Amino acid sequence: MASQTLEIKRSSASMWGTSTGIRSLPTVAKYVDTSTCIGCKACEAACQEWNDLKRVPTSQDGSYQTMPELQADFWNLIKFNETEVDGELNWLMRKDQCMHCAEPGCLAACPAPGAIVQYANGIVDVNPDSCIGCGYCATGCPFDVPKFHAKTGKMAKCTLCVDRAEVGLEPACVKACPTGCLSYGSKDDMVALGILRVKQLKDAGFKDAMLYDPQGVGGTSVVTVLKYNRPELYSLPADPHVPWGVKVWKQVVRPLGVIAGFLTIFAAFGHYTKYGPKEPPSDEGRAA
Amino acid sequence: MTTVNDAQPAVITARHNDNVVVGDEIVRHRRATRLMHWCVALTFFIALFSGMPIWSPLFAWMAALVGGMNVARIIHPYAGSLFFIASVVQFFHWLADMRFRDDEKGAWKPSRLMAYMRWEENPSDDQGKFNPGQKVFFFSVCLGALGLLVSGIIMWFPLYFPPLVRELGILLHDITFIFFLVGIITHIYLGTAAEPGTFRSMTRGTVSRRWARLHHPGWFRDVTNKKE
Repeated sequence: MASQTLEIKRSSASMWGTSTGIRSLPTVAKYVDTSTCIGCKACEAACQEWNDLKRVPTSQDGSYQTMPELQADFWNLIKFNETEVDGELNWLMRKDQCMHCAEPGCLAACPAPGAIVQYANGIVDVNPDSCIGCGYCATGCPFDVPKFHAKTGKMAKCTLCVDRAEVGLEPACVKACPTGCLSYGSKDDMVALGILRVKQLKDAGFKDAMLYDPQGVGGTSVVTVLKYNRPELYSLPADPHVPWGVKVWKQVVRPLGVIAGFLTIFAAFGHYTKYGPKEPPSDEGRAA
Repeated sequence: MTTVNDAQPAVITARHNDNVVVGDEIVRHRRATRLMHWCVALTFFIALFSGMPIWSPLFAWMAALVGGMNVARIIHPYAGSLFFIASVVQFFHWLADMRFRDDEKGAWKPSRLMAYMRWEENPSDDQGKFNPGQKVFFFSVCLGALGLLVSGIIMWFPLYFPPLVRELGILLHDITFIFFLVGIITHIYLGTAAEPGTFRSMTRGTVSRRWARLHHPGWFRDVTNKKE
């Protein structure tokens, strides 16, 4: 968590955030056009550099992909999906990072007050001061983004460069992208850009082009243009949502449990008031 | 019935013998039993105070008792593991005493339970050393400890389990704990305020004859070896 100046809209395990609601902050978003991504990984390097993340060993799995999945100290990973679509080989690249959901499953699952916050501009961030490293956020995330750092015992993920965003700069990955497939601005602007690009793609023959802004999590602050309307080809969930288990747990089981606990205490007091202690009749001889 | 030397105080006898009469007192739980019970209770409470602040921010203040949320997260699985080990010892220690008698079947029906809670005397009740409610509680705790262990291991090492298993683990842990919470509050209430004289059986180890005749007439008859 790098920002000290942004207002907090929502905070984990807390009744409300710290937002005064006075400042007007637009929701920010990152635009990713997978159709113009060339897989150069400049964004990966820029992310590591700006966020002072150390160099991480890469792994060779028979593809250009740097490593199999995101890591606690590697927050931006280009996924290289070699796949056949309509009988043609396709090399589908996709930028994997925190999606900054409007309804973050990580925040819903987090038990530590203030360990995951959502700023007024929509950025979802982990606060290592409060993080207890339980990993619930990883269970709550439909995109498998938060990763546990074994050395620090904390969770870590993309911050959408909140320290840059709060002073009006674009994220490091966007700054580094050479093809313009990344862009940054208000959510509305990025969605408009995405719709325009989808239309271009459709005109160019990609009839199934789509803008990936999944509503199951309230929309995301990373909007992704896909040539094919099959997100799973890009290793994206087709219909992501906060897992039902997390919802049932937080919204049903836990409140019922708290109520049951207090009711039992009240019942004990009520019982004592009405029936009192169970004591032997006093006239029964001790000599028995 | 063990013959004991009435010359030494009951509390000394209670170190090694139970179910014996010493003067006005009857030894209910010998020292080993009491130690075991308090091991279970202590590990339970450490796990409780480190687990509840993680469960709900409503109990965040409990984290202060164990040194903060980070400490709570670290010690909770260890306290829970010790609680399970203590529970296993307890299971085998008490299993023989906790077998249901034939005439106790159905004694935990809600109607019978309510009658018990109204302190109504049921002539057919002839409680032995442990009444049916205590036996049900015993087996519930053992089963609950197992449920907490299995789900707790999943939550301790979440990265080794697929998301669905983790979700189910969290739910199982929560639901089991809620039953535990209700049960333990009832257990503490009945063992202290509601039934005076009971708590002493877990500290000093002894109960009065009157207590034994009221709460466990069958056991009282056995240990005094005479019909009331």
